[in-house]
Amino acid sequence: MKIYLMRHLQVLVATLGDFARHPSATLLTVAMIGVTLALPAGLYAGLLNVERFTRDWHGQMSLAVYLKKAAPGNQATAVIQRLPGVRRARYISPEAGLQELAREPGMGHAIRVLHANPLPGVVLVTPRAIQPAALQDLVAQLKARPDVAHVQSNIAWLERLNAALALGRRLVLVLSALLSFALILILSNTTRAAVASRSTEIEVIRLVGGTPAFIRRPFLYAGAITGVFGALCALLLLEIALFALNGPLHRLDALYASTYSLTGLTWRQAWLLLALGGGLGWLGARLAVGWHIRKDGLS
Amino acid sequence: MIEFSHVFKRYEGGNEALSDINFQVASGEMAFLTGHSGAGKSTILKLIALMERPTRGQITVNGRLLARLRPRRLPFFRREIGIVFQDNKLLNDRTVFDNVALPLVVAGVSGDDMRKRVQAALDKVGLLARERSFPPTLSGGEQQRVGIARAIAHRPALLIADEPTGNLDAAMSDEIIDLFSDFNVHGVTVLIATHDLRHIERLKKRVITLGRGHLVQGA
Repeated sequence: MKIYLMRHLQVLVATLGDFARHPSATLLTVAMIGVTLALPAGLYAGLLNVERFTRDWHGQMSLAVYLKKAAPGNQATAVIQRLPGVRRARYISPEAGLQELAREPGMGHAIRVLHANPLPGVVLVTPRAIQPAALQDLVAQLKARPDVAHVQSNIAWLERLNAALALGRRLVLVLSALLSFALILILSNTTRAAVASRSTEIEVIRLVGGTPAFIRRPFLYAGAITGVFGALCALLLLEIALFALNGPLHRLDALYASTYSLTGLTWRQAWLLLALGGGLGWLGARLAVGWHIRKDGLS
Repeated sequence: MIEFSHVFKRYEGGNEALSDINFQVASGEMAFLTGHSGAGKSTILKLIALMERPTRGQITVNGRLLARLRPRRLPFFRREIGIVFQDNKLLNDRTVFDNVALPLVVAGVSGDDMRKRVQAALDKVGLLARERSFPPTLSGGEQQRVGIARAIAHRPALLIADEPTGNLDAAMSDEIIDLFSDFNVHGVTVLIATHDLRHIERLKKRVITLGRGHLVQGA
């Protein structure tokens, strides 16, 4: 076991040494993989930001429950407040509603024309959950009450948003799959070139009794290491892009008096990207080695 | 050590390289394999090292029936033999030391043990002082000696050589052949393919002669 690990370590060191000796070709491949991985990783980061943004926005979401004319407002509000899906319920009486409306520009005159207050009592409900299904349940529950005339919600809008986000997630997935495939192709091509340029070495190793695993190992390490470096390059590109976008965003924020800023991938996601790069690199190299290192000369 | 029994080798296109070859080389023996170019000398060596398989017939090397050897075991079989090539097949981007170490690295020998064995092999061929050099900086004879050091570093029981003196002048050739003879004295079975009759007369060893794929003499 110790010998086995030692040999792997030797190959790792030798491969890194090889990279150091021929930096230009390696850098080109690494940059290629970096761009390939940065695209889906960037989209994913963008999606995470949109999700975070809508979550913040969900916190301010509320339902307007219009009561029937005769219903006693404070009593109804107290009952609604006790429902399990409700975080907070606030009663706006017809009089308070009218006063609020009168403050809107141009409405004061219109209201003075009216003889009686046409507004119903309204309970503003802040729901506990923000998932469409839970919201729909709550709306149905409220609508079923005898003292409720109408419930206004923006569930439809929320559903559209969620559908758009689901589409975004699927898009990231499809794009990731496609570009992962591209990455495998890039690395298998690089590996093919490496195999061709080291054909004498492969032949000699075979003749002195090297096992196929021994022959494959340096190529697999090269593939995996190139993949990891490519992923590192992608993370770097992503950080640069975020840095570039956050400047204008903060200016926009200042104008809207909000404090939103884009965040990159978390550490966990970054590690995952590195692992993905390494794994795909290994896979690409393994495929190429399988194709291009001919079976031992027993033809 | 080596036994050929009714061995035929036909290449694609109907070219028959060997037909009905029968011979034996005993353990500890040294023999020359000779004949004109194209007579089948290289083919016989390739069959011994399992670089190719015979069309028909049985070959036994070091007690193993080659037809029964599983592909997975092939690398381990190769570690039992040492092969010297006419063009020596050295890796030019690695030092002499690393070239000679290759069969040991492949077999998992490392550290001090590996260093001692590489240096012993280089010492035997008289190139210990050049262990840090790269092969292209050496003369043809020196390169061939590095090739021989590589072939014996893992102490094989059988040493086969394909025209090891093909590119060398007479004095260097004698040196190389004497080296093989010395290994043989120490118990290694040696089979050398050569068309240089001078060595054969000088050393008085057994000769196996091929002519157009047939065994002419020495079975």
